[in-house]
Amino acid sequence: MESMSEVDRNIAEAPLPTKGTLRRRKSLGYQMTRFVAFNFRMLKMVTRAHH
Amino acid sequence: MARIVILGAGISGHTAALHLQRQLKNKHEIVVVSPNSNWNWIPSNIWVGVGKMSKSQVTFPLAPIYRRKHIDFRQAKAVAIHPEGDASESKGFVDIVYTDPTKTGEEATLTYDFLIVATGPKLNFAATPGLGPEGNSWSVCTANHAEQSAAALEGIIDALKRGERKTLVIGVGHGTCTCEGAAFEYTFNVEHELRERGVRDLADVVYLSNEYDLGDLGVGGMIFAQNGFETSSKLWTESLFRERGVRAILRAHVEQVDPGVIHYEELDGSRHTLDFDFAMLLPPFRGVEMKAYAKNGDDITDELFAPNGFLRVDADYASKPYDEWAPEDWPKTYQCPRYDNVFGVGIAFAPPHAISEPRKSPNGTVISPAPPRTGMPSGVMGRTVALSIVERLRHGDQAKLHTASMADMGAACIASAGTGLRQGSAAAITMFPIIPDRRRFPGSGRDLKETSGEIGLSGHWTKLLLHYLFIYKAKARWGWFLIPE
Ligand SMILES: Cc1cc2nc3c(=O)[nH]c(=O)nc-3n(C[C@H](O)[C@H](O)[C@H](O)COP(=O)(O)OP(=O)(O)OC[C@H]3O[C@@H](n4cnc5c(N)ncnc54)[C@H](O)[C@@H]3O)c2cc1C
Repeated sequence: MESMSEVDRNIAEAPLPTKGTLRRRKSLGYQMTRFVAFNFRMLKMVTRAHH
Repeated sequence: MARIVILGAGISGHTAALHLQRQLKNKHEIVVVSPNSNWNWIPSNIWVGVGKMSKSQVTFPLAPIYRRKHIDFRQAKAVAIHPEGDASESKGFVDIVYTDPTKTGEEATLTYDFLIVATGPKLNFAATPGLGPEGNSWSVCTANHAEQSAAALEGIIDALKRGERKTLVIGVGHGTCTCEGAAFEYTFNVEHELRERGVRDLADVVYLSNEYDLGDLGVGGMIFAQNGFETSSKLWTESLFRERGVRAILRAHVEQVDPGVIHYEELDGSRHTLDFDFAMLLPPFRGVEMKAYAKNGDDITDELFAPNGFLRVDADYASKPYDEWAPEDWPKTYQCPRYDNVFGVGIAFAPPHAISEPRKSPNGTVISPAPPRTGMPSGVMGRTVALSIVERLRHGDQAKLHTASMADMGAACIASAGTGLRQGSAAAITMFPIIPDRRRFPGSGRDLKETSGEIGLSGHWTKLLLHYLFIYKAKARWGWFLIPE
């Protein structure tokens, strides 16, 4: 069998999200708060970019 | 009355045109030259490429918008710039060739008082034999390309449904490519589509890239603060690859694409082949082909443009080693050093160097990403240069120019990982600044408070919101200018 490349090994050893994380990524309530937070962060960033 | 000519009606050129018109009303003449009759929200081409959106949902005709805004639109491509004029014309002018179906091939000249070069990239498929839709792989760089990719993908899905095994390779088709983020997005959208259609188990999905590590994305990777730890974009991206069962081949330069076989070299100099049934590989970018001439007719293309075809602006182009790269190398005003009424914005300006560490294989092949210039900075540059020109028109040559250095600008990047209002997902990333500044932010060179990454459904909502907002803005509908670039 071909030996695993460094990249394959890194992927194989990367942490997997827990069930809770996967649930949160799809949870409508939680994602709504993330939507507001991320858009606020993005808006702050663009307004800062205008000189 | 001054005339401002804008070459290119993409994200940066169109933004510049709308802001100039808003500021100058009809006191000055604004002319936009672009070979395509349509405007394209390029980020959503990813969704066209998996059949989730149609071409008409991501494009619209420019002419009616420009008519409404009293902007003179020439459907043509610029082929040469004469920044000093010539023997019979004292003003700078550009040579254009019409692509407008009513006068295709007709030549004309356009004099200007100010010129904005916003011509974006030339999709350089020719750099790799067999690359691209006219060769043996697909692309999503234009809406047409994306439609073709979607049709080819559909054929693969049909074969998978018949029980055949298939290998799908998605990535970049040359060692010097940029836009790895788009390849990443397409990979995960295809993977999502295969799962939705119930054929994922028979498909081998492979991401093929010139990045040194996953998560590099042409910006040298990022460090995020998460749950009280500093996490790298490398680990974060590797986690997503593991979760979704996508293989990766990194540090690769595609040398040739034969029907069903990719030939590539790795950074260690070794050469390999990879069989595929479907391949979407982005091309490397270079500047569009344009010449430049002095007043006496001498060819000054090499003075105006860098060897990669991009316009030289107020960047520091002195060649220096990676550890001497500095944020000050990056342009601030996008003004051409030799001609102060010429500006280059968006992908069209020549970056001083890459952002990711440059690397070469023992065979001398460059295998490292070129610096990305994404939509947000491109729009900001378009607006900044528009405002500088307005200042110059109002206050004369000594007016202070507006600035927008990528070393002082953040960026948000939402990499779609699947569509659907309930099932969609995206990796939403913010970074500040785009160009790392290790003096200001020791360690990663970026502000940990402003650099973040998260995966989830809300990223998909944001990406969809941006799709509608930016098309609304580009159509110059009521209040368009309130939507920031
Ligand atoms: C598949 C894909 C997905 C992407 N996704 C994202 C994303 O999610 N987020 C993001 O921020 N960025 C994304 N980008 C990058 C983004 O599309 C670019 O940053 C942006 O389009 C650059 O704007 P621009 O105005 O410089 O060039 P363009 O938008 O490419 O516009 C160039 C314009 O110049 C015109 N032109 C070409 N030649 C000539 C000529 N000779 N004379 C006159 N006009 C000419 C073209 O017709 C076009 O109108 C993506 C890119 C790709 C390819």
